[in-house]
Amino acid sequence: MSNFVQVLIDGILSGLLYALVSAGLSMMWGVMDVINFAHGEFLMVAMYLCYWIGEILGIDPLFSWIAGGIFLFIIGALTYKLIIKNSLGKAAMAPLLATFGLSMLLKNFCMNRFTPNFRLLSGTIMEGKTFEFAGAIVSVPQLVTAIFSLAVLLSVYWLIKKTRVGWAIQATAMDKEAAELMGIDTENIYLLVFGIGGACVGVAGGLMTTYLAVHPEVGGLFSLIAFVVVALGGFGSIPGALFAALLIGLVESFAGFYIAAVVKYVAVFAIYLVVILIRPKGLFGW
Amino acid sequence: MLIRKRSTIAVLMVLALSLMICSSAFAADKVIKIGALFPLTGPAAVSGQNCVNSVLAAADVINKANPDINAPLAAKEGLLNGYKIEIVKADHQGKPDVAKSEAERLYNQEKVFAVIGSYNSSATKPASAVAERAKKIFMCGCSSSAALTERDYKYFFRHAPTDAIESKEFVEYIEYLNKEKKAGIKTLGLIYENTEFGKHAAEEAHKAAKHSGLKVVADVPFNNGATNLNSEVQTLKAANPDAVFGAALGGDYSLWVRTMKQVNWLPKIAINYCTGYQNPAVQKELAGDGDYFMGGMGYSPELAKTFMPEAIKIEKKYYTPRSNQPFDSDSIQEGVMLFVLAQAIEKAGSLDTEKVAQILRTEEFPSVMSLSGKVKFEPGGQNVHALSVITQIKDLDYKTVFPLKYQKAEPVFPMTPWDKR
Repeated sequence: MSNFVQVLIDGILSGLLYALVSAGLSMMWGVMDVINFAHGEFLMVAMYLCYWIGEILGIDPLFSWIAGGIFLFIIGALTYKLIIKNSLGKAAMAPLLATFGLSMLLKNFCMNRFTPNFRLLSGTIMEGKTFEFAGAIVSVPQLVTAIFSLAVLLSVYWLIKKTRVGWAIQATAMDKEAAELMGIDTENIYLLVFGIGGACVGVAGGLMTTYLAVHPEVGGLFSLIAFVVVALGGFGSIPGALFAALLIGLVESFAGFYIAAVVKYVAVFAIYLVVILIRPKGLFGW
Repeated sequence: MLIRKRSTIAVLMVLALSLMICSSAFAADKVIKIGALFPLTGPAAVSGQNCVNSVLAAADVINKANPDINAPLAAKEGLLNGYKIEIVKADHQGKPDVAKSEAERLYNQEKVFAVIGSYNSSATKPASAVAERAKKIFMCGCSSSAALTERDYKYFFRHAPTDAIESKEFVEYIEYLNKEKKAGIKTLGLIYENTEFGKHAAEEAHKAAKHSGLKVVADVPFNNGATNLNSEVQTLKAANPDAVFGAALGGDYSLWVRTMKQVNWLPKIAINYCTGYQNPAVQKELAGDGDYFMGGMGYSPELAKTFMPEAIKIEKKYYTPRSNQPFDSDSIQEGVMLFVLAQAIEKAGSLDTEKVAQILRTEEFPSVMSLSGKVKFEPGGQNVHALSVITQIKDLDYKTVFPLKYQKAEPVFPMTPWDKR
């Protein structure tokens, strides 16, 4: 029984982390129909930022995630201004290829500046902290990340559903030209969406520094899972991303423990394939 | 005026070009190009870069006059009356397909005489197959999959002890602990990356365990570069083996150790193959969490003090300035292979691949950077003098615990639990 609870908790905590990493991608994809290939590298940049803040200034990731969020908001907005804006309206694949180039640039820049060494922050406030719950061990850093994830997702959801800016984002996503006729500055909306997308992944990266080693390739599998989460949950749907991420976290955890550890990603991608075949717009898609 | 300026630039460019052509032609006459094919990016990049640095250090010893180092080819400059070694680096990213194409590029386009590599057994396998087809020499330092030397290749030579040799040694150590220390180790768990290296290590572990009556209660492969190892460690914890053999490289090793800490579980003893355990940089990042784990090693600064004093000189002079750390037992073996190859070339007296390969197959070579002090290859290319010892790490210090001939400290056994550190 304690094994079951442990696997369940591990799955939920992983799922909530995946949800936070995926939320930003979901917004960019949903609103702008732009696939940001550099999403995993945004995560890596945030992790490096918070790692160095911790290493040089001694500020714990429990606080430096704010810097991660702000910095990645700026990086996201700049990406839109300098890259996406110039590639939109050209060849259909142009934004995708441009962000692919950006991902290579960021990865190789970090490889060059910081070497491929694995860097792990030691002596953080939450390091190694655990507690027992129903016979299972809960990792405090992962729990805190999960709680932050829920808080950020709820905030983004509230922003989109309950504020004028959110309505403008929804209107832009539905019909850009009609939104412009209604007086919505769609340029600023796009900028904001890319900024918020970056900020979400920035917060995730900042918090992950507590328990995961940073290296130039760290974003790879996370971005792949984020793409699966967004496609599974439905493009642009925050509740969809949350549900899909939890599903993936639980499938990964249960398949990994009860079938075989080596098949956990096989199970994740199999579920994804089945859902996409049955419901191509995703579980919560429009 | 403008015409004169243009003509001056043109003359200067022609001069510069001629100089470049002349110098490269001159250099081409007296250079032996050797490829260094390692994972310079990707999950095992840190180890790959250390391997390249080790090869570069060995090249410096051979190319420059080093009368202070008592090693073959160290005292004079170069080999074959003035030839210098030039190392051509290549990156296979830890991917077998890239390793194959990079090996082809090195042999066909870069025209290297031989390739040294490639750390990951999964990359060494296809890269050395390219060499074998082209009848070119492939020198392998630390890839440990036993399958590599079971192919009966003629141009493949490997320095490291295989997973088979290490598995037997690990099990012998457990038998010793059971007999002398009443350790009561009866069950074994295996955790390994799902690659050529990991799978072969696990196969050999199964064989060795069966031979000594150890029961394997958990067999856990994982995909390298995973986002988490929760299910894997939970599976181990649920089976609760007395001993665990691990084969996780680089970042996966630190994730494995940290996840064990998170679930507050440890076996009585954990012994690692050639993995992140041997890398001081990984251990430094893990701080105290890496303590009390064990692993097979062919080198440690402490072992070198007694058994490899010349290796310490090479390390200080040419390796540490590049890698900012001492040799580790993986990287040092890649440097050894360049020394052995250079000695074979010197003995052959020419750059005839067949002659050099024949000498590699038949002769024994002194090696100041090998624990056994010598290297000799049997048919198939395995080094018959391959030797590794079992060490235990505490405070970033690797202490040899087995075989008893090399023992420097009593092991801390069972491993100190997480909450008592």
